[in-house]
Amino acid sequence: MRAATRNPGDVLEAAAAPAMALACVGLRKEYAGRAALDLDRLDVPGRETLAVVGPSGAGKSTLLRLIALLERPDSGELRFGLSAAGPISAEAAGGSTATGAPVDPWGNGWGEAGRVTLRRQMGFVTQKTVMFTGTVAENVAYGLGLRGVPADEVRRRVGEALETVGLEHAAGWPARFLSGGEAQRVALARALIGRPSIILLDEATANLDPANVGIIERIITGQRQRGTTIIMVTHNLGQARRLADRVLFLWEGRTEYLGPAVGFFSGSGVPRARAFVAGELVY
Amino acid sequence: MPLTSEIIEIVLLSLFVSGTATVLAGLAGVPLGTFLALGRFRGRGLAMRLTYTLMGLPPVLAGVVVFLILSASGPLGRLHLLFTPAAMVIAQTLLVLPIVTGLTSVTVAGKDREIRETALALGATPRQAATKVLVEARLGITGALAAGLGRAIGEVGAVMLVGGNIAGFTRVMTTAIVLETRKGDYTLGLWLGLILLVVAFLVNSVFAGLQGAGETR
Repeated sequence: MRAATRNPGDVLEAAAAPAMALACVGLRKEYAGRAALDLDRLDVPGRETLAVVGPSGAGKSTLLRLIALLERPDSGELRFGLSAAGPISAEAAGGSTATGAPVDPWGNGWGEAGRVTLRRQMGFVTQKTVMFTGTVAENVAYGLGLRGVPADEVRRRVGEALETVGLEHAAGWPARFLSGGEAQRVALARALIGRPSIILLDEATANLDPANVGIIERIITGQRQRGTTIIMVTHNLGQARRLADRVLFLWEGRTEYLGPAVGFFSGSGVPRARAFVAGELVY
Repeated sequence: MPLTSEIIEIVLLSLFVSGTATVLAGLAGVPLGTFLALGRFRGRGLAMRLTYTLMGLPPVLAGVVVFLILSASGPLGRLHLLFTPAAMVIAQTLLVLPIVTGLTSVTVAGKDREIRETALALGATPRQAATKVLVEARLGITGALAAGLGRAIGEVGAVMLVGGNIAGFTRVMTTAIVLETRKGDYTLGLWLGLILLVVAFLVNSVFAGLQGAGETR
């Protein structure tokens, strides 16, 4: 297994982060009558790395899917302020009003075109990596193809992205036959090649060997140093401790702790959070 | 029955009728199956159940329906299509369409969530994501077409009713087997059956080759 050979910051240039990357206000999502997520308020400043932790079924993945605009919340608002030039206006993203204020992509006047614009400023990597048929390079290039990037630039950026994740030698390999770790690194390259302002990681290193976890954490660290906002769901508390500025601890869909990572891991959080960190929480 | 030119003619007509029916059913069934799989509309469940039910449509029933429609007193009688290869194509298209539609919807639905969401998360529009789902489901769709062709080339009830088994005009392999068996020439019937299986095997080999080419990518 090869280590990543370049600093991600060398090649995957992110936009300068705004003061507030996103805010979730009263966000609620139910499945079959059960509240999977019921969040009062979550503000994520630009450049922050936020670790979302909690037991299975706490609503972590639901939160990420809502932020990624893959699902619509039953109630509440998502407000984005992703752009380097300031908050994206509804007009720029395809909506009917140009307020200049942070936007709610499910609000009035917003169509799918606006949500597509927002999605293109985010990168989402999940635990279960889905590789398309075709080569590794074709997989990584997919997002750029959607954006109509010229072929020459696509080739250059694919090469850079693969070099970033240490897989430049695998460009021509069939993507569906990669190992779990390789596939996850390709998925990361595929998500990062669009130069997202926000990266969403849903247990992106679960089930990987320590070497691949290390490679991916180095890539995340590189993105973090460049000022990309990162929201990562993880069961790996050591990883959260290593990477996160703040921790959101969810319990049955609600915020149990939201604050500095140092405080969460030093035991100054609420009792349930302390028990979770100590591995004593029964659920 | 001369075992050379007439049999070749029968084989070619069988391939033409069943192949055309499969192409027509594919042109309509693949989009229809995709719509059933990806669409969110009222009555979708009923449409799915109806499609699955029609996958088991008895060939004879399809033949009777087409016969009545194309007969002189039927709504399309003035087209004079009854007892022509065109009528056989219509009947087989009716049989194959639900199979291609149903199997396409199953294979697309199986790919839908993970492929569609991955594509959306990478910046695809809903239309681009649906196209990606279809591209990723192409092996299953090829299988659906192969199953449809198998259904068409092996059925006898519908083509017998609407084609009439006219020598040199509407006689295909299955109707020829029935005829020879009724005449007591079981040997020729069995030989024709063997030829039918070999032809079906060759056609399916082509489909398998297409699937294999996609699989290794």
